[in-house]
Parts: sequence; structure tokens; C-alpha cells
Amino acid sequence: MTETLERAAPAAAPAALASDAARRHRALFANFFRRELTTRYLGSISGLAWALLHPLALLGVYHFVFTTVFRTGRFGDASFLLFVAVALWPWLAAQEALQRATVSIPGYGGLIRKVAFPHELVVYASVAASLVLQFAGYVLVLIVLAVAGEPVHFVGLLLAVPLWLVMAVAVTGIALLLAALQVFIRDVEHILMPVLMILMYVTPILYPLTLVPAGMRPWVAANPFGWLVERMRDALIAGRPALEWGDAVAVLVAAALFAAGLAVFRRLSPHFEDFV
Amino acid sequence: MNAPLLGLAGVGKDYAKIESRGGRLRLVWDLLRGRGAASVFRALDGVSFELRRGQSLGVIGENGAGKSTLLKIIAGVIQPTRGTVEVNGRVGALLELGSGFHPEYTGLANIDLAAALLGIAPAEIASRRDEIIAFADLGEHIHDPIKTYSSGMVVRLGFAVATALDPEILITDEVLAVGDESFQKKCVAWMERYLEGGGTLLLCSHSMYHVQKLCAHALWLKDGKVAGYGQAAPVTQEYLAYHEEKTAARREPLPKAELMSARIYAIEHFTLSPEATMDMGGDLVLSGEVHSPDGRMPVVLVGVVRADGTPVYGVATDMDGISLARVAEDRYAFEIVLPSIPLLPGKYEIRAHALDPEGVRLFHTVARPLVVTGVTREMGFVRLPHRWGGGRSDRLPEPR
Repeated sequence: MTETLERAAPAAAPAALASDAARRHRALFANFFRRELTTRYLGSISGLAWALLHPLALLGVYHFVFTTVFRTGRFGDASFLLFVAVALWPWLAAQEALQRATVSIPGYGGLIRKVAFPHELVVYASVAASLVLQFAGYVLVLIVLAVAGEPVHFVGLLLAVPLWLVMAVAVTGIALLLAALQVFIRDVEHILMPVLMILMYVTPILYPLTLVPAGMRPWVAANPFGWLVERMRDALIAGRPALEWGDAVAVLVAAALFAAGLAVFRRLSPHFEDFV
Repeated sequence: MNAPLLGLAGVGKDYAKIESRGGRLRLVWDLLRGRGAASVFRALDGVSFELRRGQSLGVIGENGAGKSTLLKIIAGVIQPTRGTVEVNGRVGALLELGSGFHPEYTGLANIDLAAALLGIAPAEIASRRDEIIAFADLGEHIHDPIKTYSSGMVVRLGFAVATALDPEILITDEVLAVGDESFQKKCVAWMERYLEGGGTLLLCSHSMYHVQKLCAHALWLKDGKVAGYGQAAPVTQEYLAYHEEKTAARREPLPKAELMSARIYAIEHFTLSPEATMDMGGDLVLSGEVHSPDGRMPVVLVGVVRADGTPVYGVATDMDGISLARVAEDRYAFEIVLPSIPLLPGKYEIRAHALDPEGVRLFHTVARPLVVTGVTREMGFVRLPHRWGGGRSDRLPEPR
């Protein structure tokens, strides 16, 4: 009798299909996320330790270049190194997330050709893996700088973490667009490299906005990433984690980017199977 | 439950054709605007059928006929360009080799990935995992990356994973061909048990034997369209006959167009009784009709060949001076009885050929497979009448 009941239960559950699908997608995302984390360091002896070693090595190099060779001045109480680091890591995170996510779909070609699942999970997992690793590196770099005597205001993380989340939403939107286009047009990844390079130099990461000639300043300031960078410095160097009206605009922009990216992705993803 | 397990209505799938370098850009632009691709290849067109619980379907057809596309649409891997697909059950799909396995992962890790793809809750995986490992029977290799597996091993794991979910519809795409003999037997045994338990199978195979053994119904796809649908036996036979015609058309100098037109002598409704399988020594009746475009009485030649093509016996109406019965202005009926057939157990093909009234030109050939069953240690393919002489027949003479 119990056996009959148990057998009947799954058949009578179409109403629970929606939550079933959500559960399935979560499990799949978790699996892809783990896969993204491990495959990046698969085969390396120290495994995930590289994820932490890499930012420290980079920090050492920047210290050598800016403090030892260029002998850059200070910005208030902050060294130039801290000034750059606070802005550079979010940028590196966004850059890595975009580059990896753009080419993420072909790596799942075997699955896409043979199993039904929402393809955007691949992009989500790729972006999430990049950002999580880079955020860990960011926190580590801030700790090291604080230990070295730099005036890092950790209370600023109260604003910095939401800023990272806003960035994550925006980056995911752009990544969805690029990843979908890359499946059809292989040039996307090659165009992306120089574009990111140019964007990095026109964003006030390695220089303060105040050094930009007044006539060009509005153009440079209009860069959304420049805004993000300034807010990071407000939060972590100046220690002012207060909200501004601009933050609301940023959230809206990020949401719009995500929605647009997802819309394009969903238009194109039914045709991936033929092109991956 | 009255709703069919699976319902397809007018399903079609177009694939974009990219002709130039700029074609991809154009395609993306067209897709983004919500239009279809400008230039397409019709992989599938107007496929409609329903599948009810426990009703298994074999999908047959030549390479490139759209079988895999159809299965992918049913499995939800691709969306149809036209038509609707309704699935009211859990689908387990095993599409081609290594369905959704990651080559760098071990067999075990791939089981977890597959489980996540199938939506099995993590808590449930643990209990299923042992079941899967036992069925795949890979021994210690389960801890090795998939890329080190042979294709047969990949199929074993794939089959074990696809079946562990208790799917209500199991879709398999020509996978039985890869495993070794014992695994094939295991798969067929599993499928038979699954079918007895009310499972529904959607099998794509080039093996008419497997289709007839496992499926009650068959769907024949030709160039993306349904060429035949119904009971497995007649559809598979028609499909085999089509192949026979195709090879005959290639052999004969006769142009295909002429063969297709009604202007030739052609065999129709060729049937065997018993159909497809008989015991050695039974009576075999061949019957059918022959179409005669000019109303004259054609010659019918029937023959038995072994599965490898070796002729065993052939006889024509003109040899025996037989007149066919005229059933219509342009058709004649024929029937021939082969009493207590002396063929030894094995696979044969029974052929009927239509010749012109002069018995000179061969116009049309139709063939049916025939399996003769029985137990005997005799050799060859025909039992010749025989009688032993010069001694006792029950044992060897005792040495003295």
C-alpha cells in the first residue's frame, strides 16, 4: 500500500515543477561554479593558493614600480599604491570576468549539444567564479596594505561590498551579451582585448580625476566605471560609506545592462547548439 | 491519465546556412530582430505523432534524415522552429556518445554533474550513485577521468546514468551499437524490463532487429519528413524495401524517375506468411500483386537468398508455365506456397521480382527478411533429403 502511494507521488507533482526547475538550476549553477573554480587551477600543484598568491605578487610589482621606481607622491594620508590598488582590483575583476565569460559557452559545447538546461547558467558561473576569486584577492590586498600602515578604512566595506554587487550585475549583463555574440562571431574576444585596455586607461584608475584637464573631465567622469572607482575610494580611503543619489542611478544602470544582456542572450541561445 | 505522454504537432526545425563571411553577422542581426535566418536548411518538417504511456517508438531512417534532430527536440536540447512539442513526463535522454560528460572529470564526478543536470537532489544522489556504479560496471576506472575511457566505457556510464532516474520516457540514440556484446544484452534486458514495467522508449536505431524487438511502433523519417508511421513490422519492412529499391535502382541502368513512375511492372503488397519468423519445416506462403502498366501479364520471380546475399533458390512463373490471376485492369495477383521448408535455421531474405511478360527484363524487386528458427547441428543452409546406408545408423561401429 505504502509502495503504491510512493509511486503515485512523483506522477502527481506537475504543480511542483516550477520549484523543481528552480532547485535544479541552483544545483546546476553550484556544479558549474565549482567546475569553474577547479578547472582554473586544475593541474596546478598548489591549487587555489594561486588565487591568493597572484594578487599579492601583483601588489609587490606595483609597489616596486610606483613607490620604488616612480617615487610617486601621496594623496592625503594614502600612498599612491593604496590609491591605485583600491580601484585597480575591481577593474581587474571586471576585466577577467568579461574575458572569461565571453569564451565560456564553447567550453560547455558538449553539454549544450546534448542536454537541455538554461545556457545563461554557464555565464553566471563563469562571472561568479572570477568575481569571487578577485574579491578574495581584493580583501587580502587591503589587509596587507593596512598591516603595512596604509590608512585603509575597513568600515568602507559596508559600501564597497554593495558596490561590488552592483558591478557584478552590470558585468553579468555585458558578459551575457558578449558570450552570446561570441558563439556566432569569433572576433568578439579579439576585439574585447584592446577595448578593455583602452577603457582601463581612460578610466581614472592610475590617476585621479583631478589631474585630467578641465575641458575633458566631464567625458572621463561620464564613464560608469570611473564613477565606481571614485565611490570605492570614497568608501575605503576616505572612510565615507554614505549613500548618494548617484548610487540609485548606478543600480538602475546595472539592472538595465543585465536585462538587456539577458534579453539578447535568450534570443540567441536557442541557436547555440548549432554553433558551439 | 488521458493526456499523451508526448505529443508533437507539425514540428519542424530549420538550421541556418552560413554562406559568406558576413553571413554570421547577418544571422545574428536577423535573430536579434526576432526573425528566422534568411537562408535555412530544413532538417525536420511537419512531424506529428503522439506517444502514450507504454507505447514505444522506434525512429528509423537514413543518415541525415533528421532522427537526431527529432530526438534532440523531444529531449528539449533544441527548440523547434515550427510546431509544438508537449511532454508530460520525465525524460531521460542518452544522445550520442558521452552525453554531457566532462572529459577532465572522473566517472564519479560526472555522475554528480549528470545528476545535477537531471535535477536529482544532492541527498538523493548518494543512494543512486551506487546503483549507477554497479550498472556501469567499470571497476576502478570509475575514479579515472572520462577522457581515458574507451567509447564503450563511456556508453556504459551514460546508459547507467540515463536509466537511474526512472525516466518516464527514455530516449536513446543509436547507443546500443557501441557497447560490447554482454553490455548490449544487459541494455536490451534492462529495456525489456523497463517496457514491461510500463516505461516508454524512444529508440533511434539502424538495427531493424532492435526496433522490432523493443518497439511496437516505428516512425520512418526521410529527408526530415515522415515517410512512414505505424506498427513496427510494416514500417520497418517498407523501409527495408525502400533500401532494396534504392540499391536496385543503382544496379539497374533504369533511371530513378522511370522506376518511380507507374509505368513499370512493380511488385505491390508483398507479404510473407508467417511474417518475418518461422520454424524450420513449416509452410511458407508468399503472396502479393504485380502492377502492369500496359495490362499484359508480367512474369513474377520469387527467390530465397541468405542474409549475406548467397542465392538459395529461385523460380519464376514462366518457368512453371503459371498464369497469374487478373484482379484489376492493371494488376495481377500471385501466391506461391513453399511447403515444409527445408531451410536450416538462420537469417534469409525472401525476394519477389517483377519482370516483363517476356521474362527478359527485371523491373522491380521487393525483399522481406525471414528468420528461420529451430535447433539442429546440421551444416549448410538447406536440408537435403538423405538416407544413410551400409550399417547401423544410431552409433559408430564398436572397435574390435
